[in-house]
Parts: sequence; C-alpha cells; structure tokens
Amino acid sequence: MNHELLAADESLAGGAATPSPIAESSVVTLTIPCAAEYVGTARLTILGVASRMGFSYDQVEDIRLAVGEACSNAIARADAVSQKSAPTITIRSHVEPTQLVVEIEDSVANTGGENAEMDKTAGDDVNSAELGALLMEILVDEVTLETSATGTQVRLTKYAAMNAEG
Amino acid sequence: MESAASMNLKVTSSPVRDNVVALDLEGEVDVYTAPLLRQEIVDQVEKGTKYLLVHLEKVEYLDSTGLGILIGGVKRLKEQGGGLKLVGPSPRISRIFDITGLNRIFDVYATQADALATTSA
Repeated sequence: MNHELLAADESLAGGAATPSPIAESSVVTLTIPCAAEYVGTARLTILGVASRMGFSYDQVEDIRLAVGEACSNAIARADAVSQKSAPTITIRSHVEPTQLVVEIEDSVANTGGENAEMDKTAGDDVNSAELGALLMEILVDEVTLETSATGTQVRLTKYAAMNAEG
Repeated sequence: MESAASMNLKVTSSPVRDNVVALDLEGEVDVYTAPLLRQEIVDQVEKGTKYLLVHLEKVEYLDSTGLGILIGGVKRLKEQGGGLKLVGPSPRISRIFDITGLNRIFDVYATQADALATTSA
C-alpha cells in the first residue's frame, strides 16, 4: 500500500480545508506587453497570489487596484513616447510570511518629455496618473518609485496583518 | 463585430425623459475599456443631453482612468447647464470614491428614482 498516498487521503478526510499559512518566501513573476488589453491579466494574477495570503477581501481588492494603477501608469507613459522595441511590464510578486511585495517594472524609456505628452492626451479629463498615484499611496502600506533612462520600477508593499483592515 | 474592450465593459444608454439619459455600465472600467465610456459621454453631450445618470450597479472594477473620465463628464455636462449623477455603486466602488475624496465631487444616489427626484432638466 502506498502510505504516502494514504496519509494524504487521511489529511483530506480529516477536514484539512484550511490552507496552511505561507511559511517560506516565494516569487511569482509575470511579464506582459505594455498594452492596455493585458492589464486585466496582471490583475488576475495578483488576485490569485494575494488571495492565498490570508488578506481580507478588501485588502486583496486594494492590492489588485494598486497593481492595476501601476500598470496603467506604465501604459500611459508608453503611449506618450515612441521607442524602437515594444515595451513590457514585469510584475514580480514576492510572497513572504509577513508581507506581499509587488514590483512592477516597465521598460518604457524615460525621455523627460512624456509627462507633457500625457497631459496633452488627457484632454479635459482629470490627470489619471495623479489619481492613480494617490490611489496607490492609499491602498498599500508602502510605495517606492525608481526611474532610470530605460524604465520605471514601482514597488508596492502590503503587510500581512491578517484580516486586519487597512 | 464587437471589440474586445466592449466585451469587458458594456455601455448601454436609454432615454429617461427630456435631456436626461441613463447610462448603464456593466463590467470593468479600466485603462482598456474607459475609452468606450469617454466616447459615450462625449456623444451624449454632443446630442444635447444635459443630465447623465450613470448606473454603477454592475461595475466590478473602476480605476483612476475611469474616475478621470467620470470627472471629465461632470465638467462637460456642467458646462451644458446639467450634471452627471452616479447611481447604485457597490460598497467596493463607493469606497474608491470615499478614499480619494471624490465623493465630494459626485452626486451619488442609491436608485434612479432618487437621482431623478433632484434632477430638473
């Protein structure tokens, strides 16, 4: 008899419905084209990752929205500049016992002129980039931004204060 | 053929009374789908609609792009002597307006009847 299988079966039969808490760090990485139609894919991925960490429903939704905002910002900047190679966005989720850190790194060149272009395309709508930055600040515990000539990295940290609001 | 964006967000307009149009949104309002909403608002303004009642009951996701377009709609319709009213947002969507302070800019109502009661077109 396969005792390992039996043990697994008994564990299931014993009602082991509650997943064990995440004890070790792991990284989930997704790279998408820097295009509006792929932001939903990034949001779905982070939803799956955050849902496994014991965050409350509101906290998971907050993380999902914050990641979506970071991606949207990259896409708006990509639309405002022209560059030879098609830019991408890499979303790296560092799953740790006490926190979720999501790095959203794009390869959109920073030329210095993209902000003016973004303002122009905004027309008479409100500047969504500012609103997006505000949302990120509110929705997660820490936001850091690093820019270079070749891209931008946004780092979002949400502490795993399990089931605590905020 | 339907565009892929219109599969993620369905925008349906229906006249309510003179110069008042209900706009039903269903799905996700994000950087991908928001242009559909912007175009519908622009079209309504060009047709002379004064008041838009934007139904959010079936909106599952709303990001800063969608918020920006709704604010743009408020500005456009106010210039016409009208306004944009939000109807029936879920608690999740309401929270986005609350935490950004945009609940001070938008008139939000639980039902269309409530919104109409304060609308004189």
